[in-house]
Amino acid sequence: MYVIKVGGKVLDRNLPKVVESISRELSKTPIVLAHGGGNVVTEYCRRLGVEPKFVTSPEGIRSRYTDRGELEVYVMVMAGKLNKEIVAGLVARGVKAVGITGADGPTLIAERKKRIVVIDERGRKRVIDGGYTGRVVSVNSDLLKTFLSNGYTVVVAPIAIDDEGNMLNVDADQVAFKISSTLRVDKLIILTDVPGVFVDGEVVKHIKADEVGDILSKVGAGMNRKLIEALNAIRSGVGEVVITSGIVEDPVGEVLRGNGTVVSQ
Amino acid sequence: MIIKCPICGGDVEVPDDALPGELIDHECGITLEVVNEGGSIKLRPLEGVREDWGE
Repeated sequence: MYVIKVGGKVLDRNLPKVVESISRELSKTPIVLAHGGGNVVTEYCRRLGVEPKFVTSPEGIRSRYTDRGELEVYVMVMAGKLNKEIVAGLVARGVKAVGITGADGPTLIAERKKRIVVIDERGRKRVIDGGYTGRVVSVNSDLLKTFLSNGYTVVVAPIAIDDEGNMLNVDADQVAFKISSTLRVDKLIILTDVPGVFVDGEVVKHIKADEVGDILSKVGAGMNRKLIEALNAIRSGVGEVVITSGIVEDPVGEVLRGNGTVVSQ
Repeated sequence: MIIKCPICGGDVEVPDDALPGELIDHECGITLEVVNEGGSIKLRPLEGVREDWGE
């Protein structure tokens, strides 16, 4: 079984080819698809008069700040527009597909981040209310297995739920890694807008689990997080994690032909 | 202004324009949060923070 994570920039630029590529692989293995799409949420916030807010972590990672108003747009766009566009693309290619959020089932259980540390407009470290973002703490795979065992491809939007019934914005990479670890899949494919993990200007073909620590200081903050999560996933029983470009003609086929960066034992 | 660290008792230099929620890394290794209690600025150890982010 594969889990494939498709980032927002890939959805934006290459959705038809991504769903075509995934639909070709489905005769060989079941697939769960986890998607992002923060850039589309930003666009719809503006259209609806909800000015998007962003914060920067001390590590320099810029992220959405999800208050109550923005959460409403986030859920509408992620669970509605984007999730259903992917499902429709798969269905159009003859795939039995179903779209869910992590709140369905529930499938993704998260803790709300009560407080977060940001760099404020004066360049100083400050702690603020965490808004409606969360950290996935567990995956209930019952609903996923029900669909998969009946031949469905499951498309998961990055919305989790906490123990008070709050829907939460969760990182789509984290969703993909947590689902992969829970299902102990053979392969987790992360489709991004870069061809793999760059070190000294070149894509690294293979990173062994015990080499990840040495590479962390040589990559940017976003890739750094992906590699840490990849290491955790492999230690949880995932066969391998492949980080590769989703902006090519046949993204999944390219992975099977050995392109991208493979992280494994 | 100088305020005593609630952990080690050492001096902590707090900017005069510090706002509630601002964080100061003290030399004793603790991260302190600026709080406003009854109109006066105080420091307390930072708690309840996670470094995870949403989509």
